[in-house]
Amino acid sequence: MNKALAGRVAVAGVGTTRYGKLPEYDAYDLGVWALKAALDDCDLGFGDIDGLIINRIPDYQRFGEITGINPRYTTITPGQGRFSGICIQTAVAVIAAGLAETVALVYGNNGRSAGDQYGGASDAYGSGGAGLWFPYGMTSPGAFHALMMRRHMEQYGTTTDQLGAIAMAFRGHAALNPDAVMRTPFTLEEYRAARFICEPLRLLDYCLINDGGVAMILTTAERARDLGKPPAYIRGFGQAAEFAGSTFPPEDFWRGPMQKVANDVYAMAGAGPRDMDALMIYDNFTPTVLFSLEGFGFCPVGESGPFVADGKLALGRALPTNTSGGHLSESYMQGWALNVEAVRQVRGECGARQVADAALVQYMTAAPVITSMIYGRDPQ
Amino acid sequence: MSDYAKPLPPDDPANRPFWDGAKRGVLMLQRCLDCGRHRFPAARYCVQCHGERSEWVATTGAGIVESYCTFHRAYWPAFARDVPYDVVQVRLDEGVRLFSNLVGVSRERIQSGMRVRACFDPVTPGVTLVKFAPAE
Repeated sequence: MNKALAGRVAVAGVGTTRYGKLPEYDAYDLGVWALKAALDDCDLGFGDIDGLIINRIPDYQRFGEITGINPRYTTITPGQGRFSGICIQTAVAVIAAGLAETVALVYGNNGRSAGDQYGGASDAYGSGGAGLWFPYGMTSPGAFHALMMRRHMEQYGTTTDQLGAIAMAFRGHAALNPDAVMRTPFTLEEYRAARFICEPLRLLDYCLINDGGVAMILTTAERARDLGKPPAYIRGFGQAAEFAGSTFPPEDFWRGPMQKVANDVYAMAGAGPRDMDALMIYDNFTPTVLFSLEGFGFCPVGESGPFVADGKLALGRALPTNTSGGHLSESYMQGWALNVEAVRQVRGECGARQVADAALVQYMTAAPVITSMIYGRDPQ
Repeated sequence: MSDYAKPLPPDDPANRPFWDGAKRGVLMLQRCLDCGRHRFPAARYCVQCHGERSEWVATTGAGIVESYCTFHRAYWPAFARDVPYDVVQVRLDEGVRLFSNLVGVSRERIQSGMRVRACFDPVTPGVTLVKFAPAE
């Protein structure tokens, strides 16, 4: 990573739609809704956008046509959650290279109303060969993570109650977030009583499926300082992929690529895990939170279960994580809303769920493509 | 006509030697003629040396269970009668991984690291699935 880029690009504006079931809006509509909110957030208009990065919305040209945006730079990415981090890093590179100055990143997801299942005949997880395993009943990203969790349990003695501690902490945060879809706290007994979907994972270990949209406006740090809201500086970023053999769960729970990304992102930010005031961890399923904590060095290998069991990830505790409620309880916006929450935390906008004096917040995702960003309240 | 309602493997010509082998009770894998690495599903080029020359070879079908999970939800109606059912992740001795089902063992006895051997389940006149049983 080019350390000279630390703090040079900032998030100027963020926008989110309502979350839930919004059948009257398609993915384009949700994207426009979110983009209007993001532009309002930083006092910019559609004419100020000169870079456009589209995710999950089917077609970039159609999106530009319905919004009247004629950018200098355009791209579109597949609708997989790993691409939120990739898109944000692309925007940083585009801005640093001068290909565009003010980049709109727009995401729209009508998966709930469209009946997305993430398993069965429509299963598109992984690298596209899933149909080969359907005859054995093998399908869904949930099952992939269940296989990983089973190995973690057998190797390290991790328990499903420890997953319950993660789910309970995030639901507790969602209870403080008026935008969250699932806001009713539950007990460990209620967690244990939830039905298994793919054992060892229960319903409460799975992310939600809901409709919504998210947009972010990124620009140079200089320009961001002149806009409507305090900039959230991108202080560090890193990315690494592990594609070889990735039809199957990684033997190391993605620790290898995560350690590479951790080295890059912390070196760039001039900070380490202990300096983070809050974490936003891509929680498609509760086990990825464990894998991420180990991979990024928040706890020793194999000890993530006991690490989270006492509620350490809850607000007011040592390591507030997914303060919005995350994908498990706020909204399944495939990483986008977690990045927005990181921005809102460093701005101090989170109300009842605000982390006191949040200066550095880290986003990370454990998947075949690992990404991480560190957002800072201050440029250095 | 078979009344078998579960999904069948995609009829990919490149993988036919695997499924033809299963019908004969043999687990076949593609093997790189340049570096010797085995692979499945079929690919034109070797992931290790990127060589293009390959052959299909018979294997012993021996491997270990690396992990397993239990489906309580049926993603296809035809699996509704089976839930809860188990899926195992097997690593063959040749290094190739497969998802499959274990037969001839109760759920309580499934564990990671157990040795297994391929067995063959003719589910339709045209298709035999490769499953696994505990190795003797």
